[in-house]
This record gives sequence, structure tokens and C-alpha cells, in this order.
Amino acid sequence: MKGPDADEAQTALSVVVNGKQLHASVPDRLLLSDFLRDHLGLTALKVACGEGACGACTIVIDGEPARSCTLLALQTEGSQIVTLEGINAPQGLNHVQQLFQQHHALQCGYCTPGWLMTVYTMVERSIDPNSAEVGQYLSGHLCRCTGYRNIWTAVRRALETTLKTTKDQPTGEKE
Amino acid sequence: MTEDLPPYLRRKRSRRYVGEGVLRAEDECLLRGGGGFLGDLPAPDTAEICIVRSLEPHAVVRAIRTSRALENPGVLAILTADDLDLAEDVLPCVDMIPGTLDVRQHVMARDRVRYVGQAVAVVVAVDRYLAEDAAALVEIDYEKLPPVIDHMAAIDPGGTLLYPELGTNVVFQSTQQDGNAGFAPGDGDLVIRRRFEFHRQTGVPMETRGVMARHVNGGARLHVMSPTQLPQVLRRVLASALGMSLDRVRVTAPRIGGGFGCKEMVYPEEILVPAVARKLQRTVRWIEDRREHFACSAQAREETVDAEAVVASDGTFLGLRLTGWANIGAAFGYVPNTPITAMAAMVRGPYRVPNFDARMFSVVTNKAPLNVLRGAGAPQAALVMERLLDEAAQRLAIDRAEIRRRNLIQPNELPLDRGRTDFADAGRIVYDEGDYPRCLEAALIRAEYEQFESERREAAERGKLRGLGISMYVEITAVGPFETARITLQPDGTILLYSSIMPIGQGSETTQRQLVAEELGITMEEIAIRQGDTDEVPDGVGTFASRGAAVGGGVGRMAARQLVETILNDLAAELACDRAALAWEAGGVTLPDGFIPMAEIPFRLATLRQTAQPEKIEARYRLEVLRPSYSYAAHIAVLEIDPETGRMEIPRYTVAHDCGKIVNPLLVEGQIVGGVVQGIGAVLRERLVYNAGGDLQTRAMMDYVLPGASDVPADFRLWHMETPTSLNPFGMRGVGEGGTIGAHAAIANAVADALRDYDVTVDGSGPFTPTWIMEALNRPLRFPGETTYKPTE
Repeated sequence: MKGPDADEAQTALSVVVNGKQLHASVPDRLLLSDFLRDHLGLTALKVACGEGACGACTIVIDGEPARSCTLLALQTEGSQIVTLEGINAPQGLNHVQQLFQQHHALQCGYCTPGWLMTVYTMVERSIDPNSAEVGQYLSGHLCRCTGYRNIWTAVRRALETTLKTTKDQPTGEKE
Repeated sequence: MTEDLPPYLRRKRSRRYVGEGVLRAEDECLLRGGGGFLGDLPAPDTAEICIVRSLEPHAVVRAIRTSRALENPGVLAILTADDLDLAEDVLPCVDMIPGTLDVRQHVMARDRVRYVGQAVAVVVAVDRYLAEDAAALVEIDYEKLPPVIDHMAAIDPGGTLLYPELGTNVVFQSTQQDGNAGFAPGDGDLVIRRRFEFHRQTGVPMETRGVMARHVNGGARLHVMSPTQLPQVLRRVLASALGMSLDRVRVTAPRIGGGFGCKEMVYPEEILVPAVARKLQRTVRWIEDRREHFACSAQAREETVDAEAVVASDGTFLGLRLTGWANIGAAFGYVPNTPITAMAAMVRGPYRVPNFDARMFSVVTNKAPLNVLRGAGAPQAALVMERLLDEAAQRLAIDRAEIRRRNLIQPNELPLDRGRTDFADAGRIVYDEGDYPRCLEAALIRAEYEQFESERREAAERGKLRGLGISMYVEITAVGPFETARITLQPDGTILLYSSIMPIGQGSETTQRQLVAEELGITMEEIAIRQGDTDEVPDGVGTFASRGAAVGGGVGRMAARQLVETILNDLAAELACDRAALAWEAGGVTLPDGFIPMAEIPFRLATLRQTAQPEKIEARYRLEVLRPSYSYAAHIAVLEIDPETGRMEIPRYTVAHDCGKIVNPLLVEGQIVGGVVQGIGAVLRERLVYNAGGDLQTRAMMDYVLPGASDVPADFRLWHMETPTSLNPFGMRGVGEGGTIGAHAAIANAVADALRDYDVTVDGSGPFTPTWIMEALNRPLRFPGETTYKPTE
């Protein structure tokens, strides 16, 4: 038996994860999902399909929701990555998470972290809760338990509250 | 006067738990991403396993060459069947009956492979990437045999046999009869003959399976982690497979990312991964990838059923004769014969059909082993009956609701014994309390059934085809034979409940705590729950057949009741007073001269006993389930087809259901909506495809179309009925599977109704994809210019 990394090409990677600058050396073929989960211990994102079909591994890269299971870690060189750990409140639940709980928008909870990252982006972008865009965002995620109905409700409420908060803010506060 | 009461009494009076939509406590951890699923557990110094699987559906294994693979970096070992040192290498099947031919599955293939995906060799390496590299280098010489794919061809004598020594591919048969099984049609009776085809599906929980195993205490014990719905069963099987005493094996099931029956099985990997851990004396882990999941996790549903119904001219079903063949794949799963037996047991649902004759068979083929999927065989059973009812209504020009009314069992006919069955542990099918007619009427009103024809016309004016489908079912739930629970009053005065029911998303942590809080008159926050550790609950049956709340919750609450007895007995002894002078009220013990709140009891006992530290007080309970209870529902689906594209929408879906006493309506609703959408997916989207050569074409989620966020019924109407069952101490029945059962038939009937003017048959589960719809619409109209039947308005 040869050593584990005998033939593995490694490359330096510099990336900001949840606000923290990281410098690492990673195998060229290492998937981003494995880098985040196994190397950094950020296990909130889940791997369910391994081919970008289900959305469970969704994270946010440079402001865009992305599937970490179909990217190599090295493709994120110089990027800003946000995972669920990065938007969690220090304790308890943030606003969107509370709405998911109140509306019973999760059952087994395996797909939930992925949904939350997409909803985080939608809230950041102040998506109109009544627009067709909502369906386009949600169509990127699969859930096998809830039947989606309560997820729709929680997401719409989240966007409604954002819209309200945004409108209440003095003009010029938001770009 | 409430202000005079101590806080714990006020609390009691202001709060009841059973029947309340309590938010789930488990959500906080899940929503923060701290799920604790198998793949999230710390795995330091853990070797990873990649399994080399058969790419041949049917072949003799001539040689397995591993020398090249062993040379690869990071490889620790490559093992085949003989290397596992198993005392017993046959996996359990619990629904064999006398006369069943034994085709239980072996842990690994030896001389022969019988399905694509069967485990042939195991590669162990320092990480998953390197294990996969090496697995690709394992060479297997196969001598191909003809594959047997179609179960209806497999029953022909003279064809290829999967097990030549058995002389047949038909390995199980069961008969169920009632009334006059030799019934024949009389003059003027309508006879309907139909063949129903049900396609192969799979559960697709978002979390795949996985197993981690490690030696503890210097090899004295083996600790196996698997997200299984059956941890106690797995422990027993593991102990005998490995030839270890039971106390040396510990199984823990971490949180489960969806089950749906898929994790209600003992799988080859659950034996072989621990066997590798023992052999190599190190911690090993295998995480199933999605392609493996499609290839070798339990598959479901596939069967063919020939039905012959005899119907009187007034629409009364006089008799039903069924012959059914399940395609159970290459070997027995845990309950492979249950789906086809359920067809016979449950096909008549809430309808009388006094004369009944059913013969059911299981047939082996070169596909992955079949097991139950949410609803077991009941979705297929309801679909057969409900399609026959619609067919009879059309042929006899009777309104679809009316023909059901004429056949429904009335409340005064219950309980009703429907005869002997081989299904599950039921023995006989004996319906308990219920009101099926009221359930149907409740659904019809809420679905606006009487206005539907004008709705159909309005849709037609928009160029759309709108149809409505009704279905009803009676579902066997809360099956036995027993369940156990243990509960302790901890030294700190809080309650700890040990349950053998696994959290698979159904909210069992919350419902079980609700039941105990209700029993003890305390708050849920004072109760913690532990699940899935065989060291803590060694004996249990498991999480399936909609038994979690009714049986598991029931036994937990009974254990709490037992705990009260123990506490009162202990206190009476220490206080040297009459036991009858003590009573448990409102979260504590009432004494003749005072009150001890629960939180103070351990301390009080310690003082009385003059012991240094408060001690925990423990009670156990074992609930024997003599008979299962029967939930029921009426579903009404309204479906609209766009004939330009074949696209379907479900503008309205109505469910009226009765699962007995409801513990948490929020979670019951979640189960029903989620179940209905799984049923919609089953009939409109999902299909596992084997080609004629026996290769599995479905290899990824992209190939297996699950229902998505846009497939939700726009308007979901739900009506709860709560007829308590007398078979359960707290009146509860099961609810986890009903949504899926009812949706199969309701959607199939709605598709048929929307296409009623076209020459199509909807005899089975489809799936009725847009492609299927477009093909149907391109056929000529059945009767140009007129509809095939006119409901009474």
C-alpha cells in the first residue's frame, strides 16, 4: 500500500468562508461539499443527490445560491462563501428559521439547510412574495416529506416581512 | 381563585397537550443545520468503504480479481463473501408463511448475482475517493445468464429460473376469501374484468442509507450506527450474523433523513460493514451514494392484478375475484410479500363486497428486492377498488358518489370481521369503530362535488380538460405485536423517556412528549426523550405501519402511568402511610397534609431514606397490541389537463379522514399533505426503469422525477374526524401513510375523468406523465360529440 496522498495533486486555495479568510491546500478533485463538510466541519449543508438536482447542498457563493456537490473546492478560489452556519443567530433561530418552525415547513429536516440558503438569498434580494420568481427559486429544491405547502407559506411570510421592513426603512438606506 | 394556586397547578389548568398543534422542539437543531445525521457524526480515523456491485442482472460469478485494486494508494483491504467470517449470512424476512419457498437474501453474492447492484466485493480505503478509485479496478468474470425481468413472463413454466433448485419463480402464495368465494353473476348483473398494472417505484428519502461500525472496549463490543427504522431488530440480526452474544452488540440509529419504508429493512451493508470493522479491528463507514440507492435500496409497488367484479344493476358490488402477482425482485426483503397480501386484505376498503376470493403470488425476477413503501400495498388496493367503482358507475349510469354510498359499510355494521388474512400480524381483518358514510359526505361537501360539472364546463371553455376523482380507503395501522418504553424521574426532578420509535420526520419527539406531559400534568419542557439506542431500549419492534404515535406514544404514556404508581408506592412506604391516601394530581403528589411537586420528589425520597443523593425512579411498560386499528379517509382530487402541452395541475384536493384521537393536528396535517404529494408523484411522475436486458436505467435523481414545489395542490382542504378506537388505551390510530394511499386512486380517477371522452384506459398507476397524456389525447375520441356518462346533478 502506498501513502494515501502519494499521487494526489494538491493546490493552494484561498477563500473566505462565513467571513473568515482561509488558506488551504486541497486535492484538485476534492468536491466543494466534501471540503466544507469534512475538512471544515461545516456539516449543515447536506449531500442528497450528488448531481445538483435536489438543492440540499446549497450554499451562497459571491451572493449567488450554488450547489456545492457539483463544484470543485478549487473553483471557489478568491470567492466569498456563506453556509448556513454563517447566517445562524448566535443562539436560537433567526427570523426565517422561526417561520419554518411555526409553519411546520420541515419534517425530517435533511433538505432544510439548502432551502434556507435560497430563502436567505431571496430575502437579501427583496423578492416580491407574489411574483412568479418565487416559484423559480423554489423549483431548485426537492423535499420528500412536507409536500411543499408549508414551505411555500413560510417563504411567502418571510418575503412579506422583508418587503414590509424594506418599505418602512427611510429612503436611501437600502441601495 | 387561580391566583391562590401554586404555579404548577395554574399551569396544569391552563394547558392541555393532546390535541394541540404544539410546535416541534426538534426543529431548532434541524433548522440550524446541526441535524446529527449519520454523515454528520464525527468520524476521526475512520476507513471508508466502497462496495463493488454487480453490473450484471443475472450471471454466474467465475472469478473476482483484486490484485490490481489492492496496489492502489490508500487501500486497506478488499473483501469478498468468504472473508466476512459470518456465522449466519442470510438476511431476515418476517412475512414468510407455511409453504413459502425460502429466497432470503445473502449478505454478499458468492457464486451467482441476481440483480444489478448486488454487493460482490468490499473495498476499504483511507478515504472515499481512494476507495472508489480502487473499486474501479476490481475485475469480476461473469458468465451471463438470461435475465428474467417481467414477472408475468417469469410465471410461465419452462422459462429461466432464478433459483433452479426451487423449480419455479413463484415463491409465495396466499389466499383470502369471504362470504361465498365461488360466487357467479346472476341475470342482469354487470361483470367487469380488468387487468391492473402497477409500476416500480422507490421511496427516495433525501438522506441515503449508510452504516458506521466501530469496536469499543478493546474489541469487547461492537457499536453499529445506521439510520434504520428497526434498531432493535438490526441488533438481534447482527448478533446472530456475527456469532456474537446480544450484549456485545450495540446499535444506535442517529436521526433519520426520511424513511418511507425504505429504511424498514435489514440490508446487506448493515451486516457487512460491521463485519469489516471486526475483521480489520478499526472504525469503518459506508455512505450510500444516490446511484447505489436507486440500485439496491428497497424498491416497491410493482405488481399485476386481475380483477373480476360482479355488480348488481343498482350498483351494489356483489363479489370481487382477484389474482395478483408481485414482482418481488431477486430475493426477499424484510416484508416482501406484504404488499401483495395487502391487496387482498385491504382492497374492499370501506365497501361491503360480501363475496370475495383472492389469490396472491410473489414472483422472483432479476430486479432489486422489493419491500414496503409508504402505504405498503394499500395504495394499489384502493386504486383497484376505486377504478372498478368508477367503471361500474359509468356503465350503469349511476353518479360516482351515489354508487359509493350504496356500497359503504354503515357504522352499525362495525366492528366487522372481513376474514382470515396472511397480512402482517393481523390474523383476521376486523375493522374497529368508524363512520365511513359521514366521512364521504364531509369530503363531498368540502370538495364542492355537486358544483363540479359547471366547473368542468367552465374549464372546457378555457380549452382545458378538468376531471374529478374520488377515493376512499380503510388502512390497517398501529400494528403489533407489542412495543416497550422506559421512563425515569431523574434525580434533578425532570422526566426522561426512552422510546423505541425512531424520529424519521414525523415529529415523534414532540408527540411522545405531549402524551407524557398530558399524563403527568407537567410541561413538555420538563421531559426529555431518547430514541434509537439499543443499550437504552434493548427490546422493541420499530417504526413502521403508522404505529409510532398510536403504539409508541401509547406505550410511553402507559410507562408514565406506571411511573406514577411506582412513585406513589415508594412515597407511601417511606411515609408509612396508606397508599390510598396519596394521589397524583397536577404534576405532583397530593398528601393528606400537603403537596409535593414532581421536581421535588427525588429529593424528598432521598431525605426520607436518609440517602446522600437523590436517586432516579424508573418504570417500564410493555404494551401488547392484540389487534391493529383501522384508519380511513375519503380523498377527492380535482385535476386539470392542458391538452396543448399535457401539463397537469391540481387546483383542489380534499381529504376527510379519521385517525382516531389526534395528538397534534399540525403534525397530522403535515403527514397527510406530505403523503398526498408523494401519492401524486407516484401516479404522475415517478418510475424506476429496468430495460429488457435487466439493467437499471434510473441512476440518478435526474432520471427519477420527484414531485416538486410546483406540484402542490393549489387549494388543499382537510377535515379531521376523531372517532376514538377502543383498541388503543388513548383512542389513537395511525396517520403516516394514509395520504399516499388515498392519492393514488383519487389522482388515477381524476385523470380518467378528465380524459373520459378519449379512448384511454387508466388501469393501474401509470405514471400518467405529460407524454402519456399527449399520447392519450392523440387517440380518437371514444364517442365523438357526446360524453360517456352523465352524472346525476
